[in-house]
Amino acid sequence: MFYRQSGVRHNSYSSDRDLFPIPADRYALWFFLALGIAAPWLIDGLYLNSYMLPWLLWTAAALGLNLLTGWAGQMHLGYAAVMAVGAYSTVHAVRFGIPWEFALLIGGLSSSVIGSLFAVAALRVKGLYLAITTLAMQFVMDWVLNHSPAISGGSHASLQSPTFALLGQDITSDAGLYYVALGWCVLVTIFLLNMRRTGLGRALVAVREKDFAAAILGVNSFYYKIIAFATSSFIAGVTGAILVATFYFLASPEQFSVNVSIQVLAMVIVGGLASIIGSYFGAALILLMPGIVNGLFAGFADMVGLQFGPETLAHIPNAAYGALIVIFLMVEPMGLGKIYGNIRDYLLVWPFDQMKK
Amino acid sequence: MLDNAAPAITGDETLATLLVRNATQYGSEIAMREKARGIWQEMNWADYTQEVIHCAAGLDALGIRPEQAMLILGDNRIRLYAGMAAMGLLRAYAMPTYTGATLEELQHFVGEVPVAAALAEDQEQVDKVLDLRQAGADIAHIIYDQDRGLTDYDAPGLLSWEGLLEKGAAALAADPDLRDRLINASGPDDPAVFMHSSGTTGKPKGIVLSQKNVISAARNGHAGGAFNENEEVLAYLPMAWVGDYALTVAAAIAYRFTVNVPERQETVLRDMCETAPTFYLAAPRSWDNILTTIQVGIENSTWLKKKLYHFFMDRAVAAERRKLNDKSGGAMEPLMRLFGEWIIFGPIKDQFGLSHLDNAFTGGEAIGEDTFVFYRALGIKLRQLYGQTENSAFNAIQAPDEVNLHTVGRPLPGVEVKITEDGEILLKADSVFAGYHNNPKATAETLKDGWIYSGDAGYLEDNGQLVVLGRLSEVVYTAGGERYVPNYIENRLKFSPYIKDAAVVGAGRDQLTAMVCVDAEAVGHWAEVHGVPYVSYADLSQRPEVAELLNEAFARVNKALQEPLQLHRYVSLHKEFDPDDGEITRTRKLRRKVVEERYANVIAALYDGSEQVHVQAIVAYETGEKGVVERTLAIRKV
Repeated sequence: MFYRQSGVRHNSYSSDRDLFPIPADRYALWFFLALGIAAPWLIDGLYLNSYMLPWLLWTAAALGLNLLTGWAGQMHLGYAAVMAVGAYSTVHAVRFGIPWEFALLIGGLSSSVIGSLFAVAALRVKGLYLAITTLAMQFVMDWVLNHSPAISGGSHASLQSPTFALLGQDITSDAGLYYVALGWCVLVTIFLLNMRRTGLGRALVAVREKDFAAAILGVNSFYYKIIAFATSSFIAGVTGAILVATFYFLASPEQFSVNVSIQVLAMVIVGGLASIIGSYFGAALILLMPGIVNGLFAGFADMVGLQFGPETLAHIPNAAYGALIVIFLMVEPMGLGKIYGNIRDYLLVWPFDQMKK
Repeated sequence: MLDNAAPAITGDETLATLLVRNATQYGSEIAMREKARGIWQEMNWADYTQEVIHCAAGLDALGIRPEQAMLILGDNRIRLYAGMAAMGLLRAYAMPTYTGATLEELQHFVGEVPVAAALAEDQEQVDKVLDLRQAGADIAHIIYDQDRGLTDYDAPGLLSWEGLLEKGAAALAADPDLRDRLINASGPDDPAVFMHSSGTTGKPKGIVLSQKNVISAARNGHAGGAFNENEEVLAYLPMAWVGDYALTVAAAIAYRFTVNVPERQETVLRDMCETAPTFYLAAPRSWDNILTTIQVGIENSTWLKKKLYHFFMDRAVAAERRKLNDKSGGAMEPLMRLFGEWIIFGPIKDQFGLSHLDNAFTGGEAIGEDTFVFYRALGIKLRQLYGQTENSAFNAIQAPDEVNLHTVGRPLPGVEVKITEDGEILLKADSVFAGYHNNPKATAETLKDGWIYSGDAGYLEDNGQLVVLGRLSEVVYTAGGERYVPNYIENRLKFSPYIKDAAVVGAGRDQLTAMVCVDAEAVGHWAEVHGVPYVSYADLSQRPEVAELLNEAFARVNKALQEPLQLHRYVSLHKEFDPDDGEITRTRKLRRKVVEERYANVIAALYDGSEQVHVQAIVAYETGEKGVVERTLAIRKV
């Protein structure tokens, strides 16, 4: 209905590889980008910084994990640990006097190094074994953070993040912090959009589908697994650092505990493996849905006049939220991104039922 | 003249001067696009003109002289078009042929003029030329476009297109005056193209159209509002059909169209969608095909989409019918139109690449009311075009908002129309040819005092609209003396989506009967949906359920016919009419004599009251082999 495809033709191979050959997709993209940029004027500051900002940052984190799990097919249960490495490295670097721009790079690179170490393990173990290996990494990291006062300041301490600044400008306003998150999320999205159509992206998919078949095709699966771990960890590290700098304002071990790892993985799986738009949906569902369901439920209870104990009020929304995830995954096991794809396909062939032969 | 407004075309230009004008003034505009290796390879006017001149120089170097001919064999290709234009520069004949033309048909062409060369698309067509040589034709040079499969060929005179251009470039480099000589050699009265009449009766007659003919035809078409400058067109029509030459060569050069050449015949639908042409001319058959595809697609669609489609389409069709009958619609009509366009019509047009269409034409035959109204309802201003090869394709067109089903519109500016006492349409225009090639007898019958006797029966209405009834030569009488045109009734039968071809018999008999070929796709789909089992076309055609379907179609046609002209019995044939069997021409016109001869026993059975008839038909396969099909056909009463 909205998609117009006639007259879309390519007279060079580079235009044939366009990210969004159909104009309607481009318009939608520009529309949402404009909406994102205009958000500080449209949305109240509180909502901007407690909903939009974390949503964008967790989306960036989910995209990073999606690169590893969705594209390269490597299970990872210690993603939060990798984010922690980046966050702590960056904060320490800034406290040491290094400007934020470089500190973020240092955080990303140190995450990369630690994360890549696990790629070496990934070469030997696969599937569930890799999941357990990465889970071990998570626990090792938790232990290290809790027991190294030099890093975290002690078992229940937290590390104050210095004021965020870019190019010598302190960034403290709501809008400023929001734009940092938006910019990073857009940057990661652009990177992944383009990665899909490069040799790297195709090699990762080959490794995912069957690593020894890929090796027979001449794809060095060791090399590409390391690349995938390193890149994904870099994104995790920088995202963790920005999260601390713009949202938490201090770093503490429980921000990067094992349940955070599980949450990011849930975002990826609910959103859809190897789906970029799915990561946006997945992060939104996992992050924002509990609050919304809570509000709806409380409102509903008020309206009907039911009296619930605080226990019930706390647990029923959680159950509803869990059920929601189950329902989404039952409807479309490939995730929310795939549901979006199905709707798009439906409209693409409208009013027919399939592409004509 | 360097201002941007193009000087008006007078008709005294030549293809060469127009090409040079395009190259110098509009050199960077896109002249041709060809889908090759997945992308549209573009060629601007400067490059295209260069290619034509190099080709002409190359052909000149090969020894092509005026009055000699070059066969053009293959599907639409930029290089074949360039070769045709180059022959115009050399004052020689470019002779396009249908891709499916048989050896005998080609031999007939070769017998008409000295054919010095052949421009072939690929190995398949080169083989055809080699066969021609073997059969005695003296074709010195064979130029080919695509070299796949040709590396091991060592036939004398075989030359690649690149080789030809190199020869041309060398000749141009050696002689600095050659370019100007080539450009100025041809005049308006020199030949542009050597066409053939469709040959519904007897052998095709050679028709030489001069450059003045084709360019003034383009001028008339432009003046009459058939097309504007810079149209986007799809070159998918057979190159041997005058409509293709008139549009994608003559009008395209005169009015700087961008010609899009599809990748292959099989990809035309997809390429059409990518091209989104602004001008589209198709035979009623093609419009019917698209209509059938849309309807089948909707039938296969889901409940909601079907409901929405019928909701908007039924109303739009009803509105168009009211318009045809000069009744005004309700106040809601524009609103329905708006929503319909957004929800249903726009997406459908978009899927088929019809959304940018400004000028849509149907020509060659009468179009069914249902089809016509459907496209008008879809928001495509479909118009009828009346033309013939002898008049370079443009006689008359309908105006966009002045549409009647039974007329073909007003004669174009520059075309004079007169009706004889017998009711024959006479035409006079700059675009009328000078006479059949080497056939003074046929010329004398057709051209008198500059008026061309079109052979079509028709009349002019008081408001200047031309009505074409059918071929004058086809007017026949029943035993009871009733006058009728079989083609007229056949077309009405063919308006049913389930009937692909029909032949009405009854000349000199007391009643009319018909032989029909069902449409394999539409009836096949119908059978699928209704659970009617069948194994082959022949089987499907004889199913009693299909007979009921056909009965409905016949009953509808009979309702519109006077009592003595109603159809009484019919037979559904076991195979479709096929140009390879000579039953129809390559433009899908019925060869009545051949059909009546071949199906003589069927026709006899139609009249002797028998219930069924046993047939033995000879089928020519595409490999050239012949096979025999035996079948028992049921004869049914309407």
